[in-house]
Amino acid sequence: MSLSDTATPTRQPSPSAVTKADIAKAGATRSRNAAKWKLVVGTVCTLLVIIPIILAQVLPLPDANFQDLSARRLPPFTNGHLFGTDQLGRDLLSRVLHGGQVSLTIGLLAVLVSGAIGIILGSAAGYFGGWVDTIISRVLEAQMSLPLLMMLLLVVALFGPSIPVITFVIAIAQWPEVARLTRSMVLVEREKPYVSAARILGLHRVQILIQHIIPNVIKQATLVVLLLLAQAVLLESALSFLGAGPQRPFATWGRIISDGQDYITTSWWMVTLPGLVIVLMVVGVNLLGDGLRDRPRRKKKGA
Amino acid sequence: MTNYILKRLGQGLLTVFLTVSTVFILIRLAPGDPAVSYAGPLATTEQLAAVRQQFGLDRPVLEQYWIFLQQLFTGNLGQSYSFQAPAMQVVAERMPYTLTLATASILLTAVVAIPLGVWMSRRPDTGKELGVNVLTIAGQSMPDFWTGIMLLTGFAVLIPIFPASGFATWGGLVLPTITIAILQIALISRMVRREMTANFAAPYLTVARSRGVRNSVLTWRYAMGNSAIPVFTALGTRFAAMLNGVVVVEVVFAWPGVGSLIVRALETRDYPLIQATVLLTALLAVGVQLVIDLAYPLLDPRVRLGKAATA
Repeated sequence: MSLSDTATPTRQPSPSAVTKADIAKAGATRSRNAAKWKLVVGTVCTLLVIIPIILAQVLPLPDANFQDLSARRLPPFTNGHLFGTDQLGRDLLSRVLHGGQVSLTIGLLAVLVSGAIGIILGSAAGYFGGWVDTIISRVLEAQMSLPLLMMLLLVVALFGPSIPVITFVIAIAQWPEVARLTRSMVLVEREKPYVSAARILGLHRVQILIQHIIPNVIKQATLVVLLLLAQAVLLESALSFLGAGPQRPFATWGRIISDGQDYITTSWWMVTLPGLVIVLMVVGVNLLGDGLRDRPRRKKKGA
Repeated sequence: MTNYILKRLGQGLLTVFLTVSTVFILIRLAPGDPAVSYAGPLATTEQLAAVRQQFGLDRPVLEQYWIFLQQLFTGNLGQSYSFQAPAMQVVAERMPYTLTLATASILLTAVVAIPLGVWMSRRPDTGKELGVNVLTIAGQSMPDFWTGIMLLTGFAVLIPIFPASGFATWGGLVLPTITIAILQIALISRMVRREMTANFAAPYLTVARSRGVRNSVLTWRYAMGNSAIPVFTALGTRFAAMLNGVVVVEVVFAWPGVGSLIVRALETRDYPLIQATVLLTALLAVGVQLVIDLAYPLLDPRVRLGKAATA
């Protein structure tokens, strides 16, 4: 369904005039190839980071917290340190992988919680209006008017930087984005004729919302949720960067980068490499989300 | 319409009130004693008690809250512990810096992201589009503190074109703005593309095209017109969020804005300063949200404000 394929004039009335080259150039083919490419590259990038993270305990790596003061700030590829060592002589790769286990767990759990809350409350607020909308919008507005990171820092200070607390805090921080977007889409959807038609047919309001409106907005909403997984990992690393990340058992990505910041001019790898690992994984997740989003749309049309 | 605005204003003020109250309770529940960070680690018990009395922290929490409410209505939230100046004044002095940074970032974002998104939506799945697409994905995948440190190292240390920190010259605005805008451009341009693609696929556009409407009109008036609400919402929401201080970027670039102030206020448990920051930023953000909602009917005549779906 691209712009280019609608304007193509038919050369001959016979269907055999469509050559293989035409099909390869067609919008649908290109779209399928792009989606496939994104899926493949996304999967490769994600697995490239996730598999070593999962296998961190099994891989022949030095202990992440083992300090060797005689081997401080070694550049990458020296003495078997693939990523080099940090200012205390700890193996950087091992630290990045062990920290990644913590970051990933937090990200996945946080996204599941925030996505569910956001879609349910956002669509309810947009569709039902009235007091439902007033309450949810007020909570949304109150939360969005709070300095987000300050609240996160505050809550972490209050309950301690443990993994459940940080997970919960990220989930609570993320649901407004899903909810507000869902609400604004539902707000437009509910004025469309098919909603009136469904109402005239005697469908219950909840039924209209669940069966007719939500399917029209769910695609964009889930895309946001997928992007949120990437954002959750980024948010967690930002918290760690500001010193409010989980301390045990391993320092997470943001903390590693924050530690290396003081040595950036002499030891570039201590900031650059952990950052690149984050970028690689988050790019992978995002590409994956994109590819997955493009796939069902094509299937639905063919069916 | 006037009723709607008045109602929303009232609700907005109530939101601000609930917000500052929540923060009041939260910071008093949080561990950490402002007297300790004020008087230093070597202070005696008597000195600590004196400091607490001076700040009114020895009184019951309810009484503190009552005093806080009185202060709230006079607009004077008391002296900042660490700055020894009225807290509201300290925040107000920092606000222009955050406003400058937020405005510059959102302008750069809008100017780049909207044309970029439209450009992508008109060439779906071509090689060029895929390349730009991957670039935007990379843009939203970089942690902003990391991007900041990288830009800082690259363009302030190795090649010293721009100042490394602070806001002494306009050049100091460049690196923080770019750091923020990279992420925002990536997010907004992808959202523009998504909205536009959906509209290009809609039947009304095919009808319009068959009537001979020009391509530029189809793009900007038809498809863009129908994409305006989500795009505007996203831009506005991001701007409102930035007013609360772009904490990480401000910390990396030592930007003298509200964000770095918050981090400092939290570290020193400077209660009046925390409350003043929350009050001012909450007021601003609620204002921006109100403007966004009021603009909906201008962008899409089908939206009627304050009217619920009737069964």
